[in-house]
Amino acid sequence: MQGDLAISANGLSRTFNNSVKAVDSISFFVRRGEAFGFLGPNGAGKTTTVSMLTSGLRPTAGSATVDGVNVVAHPEEVKRRIGLVFQESTADGDLTGRENLELAAALYRVPRREVRSRIDSLLEQMQIGDAADRLAKTYSGGMRRRLELAVGIIHSPPILFLDEPTLGLDPQGRAGFWNYVQNLRHEHGMTVFVTTHYLDEADTFCERLAIIDHGRIVATGTPTELKDKLGGDVVTVRSVAPDPRLEATLRAVAGVTSVTVQDGSCRVKCPRGEALVPQLVAACASAGIGVATVSLKRPSLDEVFLEFTGREYREDDSVSPTDRAVRIGQIRQAMGRGGR
Amino acid sequence: MIRELGALTWRELLRLGRNPQAIVTSLLLPILYLLLFGQAFNLGALFTSQPGGQAFLLAFLRGAPTYFSYFSAGMAGFVAVTATLFIGANVIFDRLFGSLKRTASSPATATSIFGSRLLAGSIQPIGLAFLVIGFAILLGRLGLAGLQVTAPIGVVGAGEIVLAVVILSAMFASLFLAIGFSIEQPQTYFAVVNAINLPVLLTSAALYPWGTMPAWFRTIASFNPITLAVNVLRENMFTGATGYYPYDPYVYLLGLLGWAVAMFLIATLLAARALAPKR
Repeated sequence: MQGDLAISANGLSRTFNNSVKAVDSISFFVRRGEAFGFLGPNGAGKTTTVSMLTSGLRPTAGSATVDGVNVVAHPEEVKRRIGLVFQESTADGDLTGRENLELAAALYRVPRREVRSRIDSLLEQMQIGDAADRLAKTYSGGMRRRLELAVGIIHSPPILFLDEPTLGLDPQGRAGFWNYVQNLRHEHGMTVFVTTHYLDEADTFCERLAIIDHGRIVATGTPTELKDKLGGDVVTVRSVAPDPRLEATLRAVAGVTSVTVQDGSCRVKCPRGEALVPQLVAACASAGIGVATVSLKRPSLDEVFLEFTGREYREDDSVSPTDRAVRIGQIRQAMGRGGR
Repeated sequence: MIRELGALTWRELLRLGRNPQAIVTSLLLPILYLLLFGQAFNLGALFTSQPGGQAFLLAFLRGAPTYFSYFSAGMAGFVAVTATLFIGANVIFDRLFGSLKRTASSPATATSIFGSRLLAGSIQPIGLAFLVIGFAILLGRLGLAGLQVTAPIGVVGAGEIVLAVVILSAMFASLFLAIGFSIEQPQTYFAVVNAINLPVLLTSAALYPWGTMPAWFRTIASFNPITLAVNVLRENMFTGATGYYPYDPYVYLLGLLGWAVAMFLIATLLAARALAPKR
């Protein structure tokens, strides 16, 4: 089993200043060739976990191996075996795209005879060949992200860490980025560990996920498994005025799996929500409960997050619902998957 | 390690070369000093018009024919300070803009990351020092007070001058790298650097005629690294200057090397701590 694992974490913890527990005893594994998503809101502990797994930060407790190498005992060996794309731009703006890649090739000890061909191939693959001899500081956001990715994989690492890789990109840029990553996986069988707080990207791209909140992993599984744990669709019913009878009324409707009260609304789980909505409304009417709003949600990772953490997921307030819808469509199109 | 050291050094030199503002700023202070301070205080004629005045002046300026010539050698040494402060500043900006994170996350050793910056910082000021010397000579051709190199500088002399500039630059590059790796904010860095630059310059023999300095000041200035480097320059540039200095240039070079090694050790420790996985 150990040999099949690209990443293994066991009770990994990190406390800052002896008081702030950024990561609290997390354990998980990533199989070789897998795309594994590490999901959570800002400040959940994602980047701290990546820093520990990539030997940039010492854990205060627990252990982890990457490609079978202990991240604390052999940091330089770990660094040699991984590619890393940070959430912020780290390419040197005063160097050209090609010079950035040449520098990375030297630091990762890419065989000299392969450097030129590998750089040319990456520049072409990432569609920045025309700008290869321009200073990186003149690149657009999307070009810089692609350059970051090229720098991260110059040494063909078996494991690639992506820390919030699409942060700040427009929908088209995001779609393009994931397309490149997906191609890399198919061509090189690379293991990809990605942290993101964009649930839709994780849903579409990752084969397995871990949800982290307040430094703890609250759920792991494939996107489908996690959504199935919800027990079907979610119908949220809000009464005109708070009514203690609402929960019991809804629970009594045939086909309802469970009812929970959340922020004054009732969340009704059921296998086929669209068929049940009229019955739920009718039941409320019969009981004399005025219904203010009814909404139906298909299982999504937002719902999964809500289920496991007890609160709404806020990915990015600056992203409008329209942008988000466009983004999901573009990502799915780029990935060639329909999604659920 | 050689390959990564070479690649990182080349990168530093490329960046410095592509930053003309840094070069202009490095040269600005020594050039301004030459244009204003050096011209205004070139009072040698007051002595040379008197009987025995020339001999007095030579002793006063330790073999330099004019104060401006004496002062020009001081400024050629001082440019090592003004140029290397950017090496330390680059550490801070690289940390802010992420490229230090990229390098530190690679398998490159802390020694290579630090060593490359030190090497680039030691090499770059050589050209600038010669630019200052060239400018000081040019001023003389333009009818102003100018640098008069009165001694024939052979290969050994030129080598000693280059070595003095390189070691002085290495010493200050180490100092500024130590500060750069220890401080996170650019404002704090420049405040600290300014607090160092002026006292180091003012306690050296780069500015003042040796003859006017009180004994206690001469003692302090004798150990100042800028003085040690400037002594090497002056002994090689002016005929008969060696007679006014108690030691040969190589002794000053050794003293300078001592400073550089001490500063290198401190900077290495601080850089290794900054680049190690955070505890």
